[in-house]
Amino acid sequence: MSIVRRRLLGCCRLVAALAFGAAGAASADDPNAACAECHGSADQVTAAAEAFELELEPAQAGRLVVPSMGEGSVHEGFSCVDCHSGAEEIPHPDTVMAGNPCATCHEDAVKAVNQSVHADPAGGSDLIAPCWGCHGAHDVRLATSAASSVAPGHVADRCLGCHDKREYLTGVHGHAVQHSGLDIAATCVSCHGAHDIQSSGTIGSRTKRRNVSSTCGKCHGRVAEAYRASVHGAALMKEDNPDVPTCVDCHEAHGTRDPAQTQFRVASPEICGKCHGDAALMTKYDLSTAVFSTYVADFHGTTAELFRAVTPNQPLNQAVCYDCHGVHDIQAMHGAGQEQINARMLVRCQVCHPDATNKFLSAWTSHYVPSRDRYPLIYWVNVFYQLVIPGTVGFFLLYIAVDWLARRRQHRRSA
Amino acid sequence: MTHLDEPIRRFKRSQIVNHWIMLVCFVGLVVTGFPQKYSGYGWAKGIILVIGGVERVRWLHHLFGTVMALQLVWHGLDVLWHWLVRRLPLTMIPSIDDVLHFWQQVQFNLGRAATPPRMPRYTFAEKVEYLALIWGTVLMVATGVILLYPTRWLPLPGEFVLASKAAHGGEALLAFLSILTWHAYFVHVRHHNWSIFNGSLDAHAYAEEHALELDAIRRGEIAQPAPIVPWRLAVFAVLALVAVAGVAALWLWLNGSGIPIQTIVAGS
Repeated sequence: MSIVRRRLLGCCRLVAALAFGAAGAASADDPNAACAECHGSADQVTAAAEAFELELEPAQAGRLVVPSMGEGSVHEGFSCVDCHSGAEEIPHPDTVMAGNPCATCHEDAVKAVNQSVHADPAGGSDLIAPCWGCHGAHDVRLATSAASSVAPGHVADRCLGCHDKREYLTGVHGHAVQHSGLDIAATCVSCHGAHDIQSSGTIGSRTKRRNVSSTCGKCHGRVAEAYRASVHGAALMKEDNPDVPTCVDCHEAHGTRDPAQTQFRVASPEICGKCHGDAALMTKYDLSTAVFSTYVADFHGTTAELFRAVTPNQPLNQAVCYDCHGVHDIQAMHGAGQEQINARMLVRCQVCHPDATNKFLSAWTSHYVPSRDRYPLIYWVNVFYQLVIPGTVGFFLLYIAVDWLARRRQHRRSA
Repeated sequence: MTHLDEPIRRFKRSQIVNHWIMLVCFVGLVVTGFPQKYSGYGWAKGIILVIGGVERVRWLHHLFGTVMALQLVWHGLDVLWHWLVRRLPLTMIPSIDDVLHFWQQVQFNLGRAATPPRMPRYTFAEKVEYLALIWGTVLMVATGVILLYPTRWLPLPGEFVLASKAAHGGEALLAFLSILTWHAYFVHVRHHNWSIFNGSLDAHAYAEEHALELDAIRRGEIAQPAPIVPWRLAVFAVLALVAVAGVAALWLWLNGSGIPIQTIVAGS
């Protein structure tokens, strides 16, 4: 430390002592005591600014109060100037807050962040998400400590500061972490990573479509395995198919709903219908959108849709798509899917219709639109009414029109 | 000489009550049925929301349907009583005369006949509607019961349940549109005919619609109920008992599967 700086520091102390009579309070052993004389409280900050004739917005005073490095901080014992080099100069030069002081010791971490979406565009250490944005500035704790600003319960607060994904908090994971204290539930970093976060478009990103099942599979291993063997998962893994759903297409990435809850079951046909009701998409794979419309036209589908629209919180026991097709292990119907359905369907019917037999299975058209060849009875009933309704009503209207005109004519004559 | 607006008694109180029950049930069934048939539309969801969910809508639909089914049985017994015990003519049954009346009315309407037909107590238009109502109610009750107890009809293939659903919906639309056109025209447009609510029709409308019956009324030739004969009463009582027992047996059999189907998960 230069003599000039020491003198300046002494000056500073003198000013503080004159102003507050507090010179004796600073311990000679504490390297940060001198800093605390100005940065200890808002009043001290204001007084120091006045003494040095510095312009200070009232709101700034609070921000310039620096709490002492608390007990348990990983940087306990460090002096302020270790990070804030240049702060020895009083008044501090403009550059005192410039740069990234963490980079001096945590070179590897800064390098890692520089490979991520939060990198410094200039390749330096001026990161888009600065270190202290997540780890805090003065009270940095080990990530394993519950008091850490990046502990599971606090991570979301850090990320949500910039990223508007508040639905995470009400989703099943956020709720588990924040409300139930379940630290093993997924936080932002569980899926996105920490220093090495990549955008979902980047190859190798944890959130790239083909990697999503592995990311979720870190915790939901068997589900991810079943998914990757399913018609959807296999198409994604083998062909990098852009249309099949990944975990997050059905479960939502941030606002993930608890699939064990009523609302999920009630809304589930709509999830499948997003794609299976989309004519353009289904044509691409030679699939019929009637799979969705026939379900909705059936008693069970109608009920499920009405529950969703009107009473979404009411428990529903009507068969939904996944009751017969499976949840994650869905197979193509021209492949193993038919066997799956055969094994599941009657069992599922009997849950609500205990006396159902194999003969009862034709009470569901298996997504076929009734035709002359398939379900002809239903087809002919429909044809009958398609002819009889317009025929009858048409005859009624014709008769009424003639009768009404005749009566008007008659009235005119008698008048 | 009587005035044209002299009220002529047309319906007795039991018939007025019968119509009221029918009216409430029909409107109730339409309001609770069509939102289910056309559940994809916003208006359908709106009606269901207002009523309080599809569960309540269905409960009401079943209630109105049950009342209408019981009314059908009651009507059958009522007809039997009047025909068998009181030996009154069945004035609603169509005859060849009705076809002639229809033809004469068409000729008159087209200007090819000088006078309209002189018709009895019930015109061909009313008989068409009555028969459609009876046929429609039988069909709706039968298909409705199949839908309500879908597994009770095995070993018939399950396809019958879906065919019943198709028929239930088709017949419902036919009935609703018929009421909107045929019924509305004859009792609201052609004449402001309130006789099924207040019991009387003015002489002018009576003369136009039921000239034959008005003449008979004027001459005092309306058929009077015959005195009750014990054996006729006994036969009626046996048949009525069979009907009531049949309804009760059907109800018990339908509900005998042990587990009623519930859309709402039990215990929730």
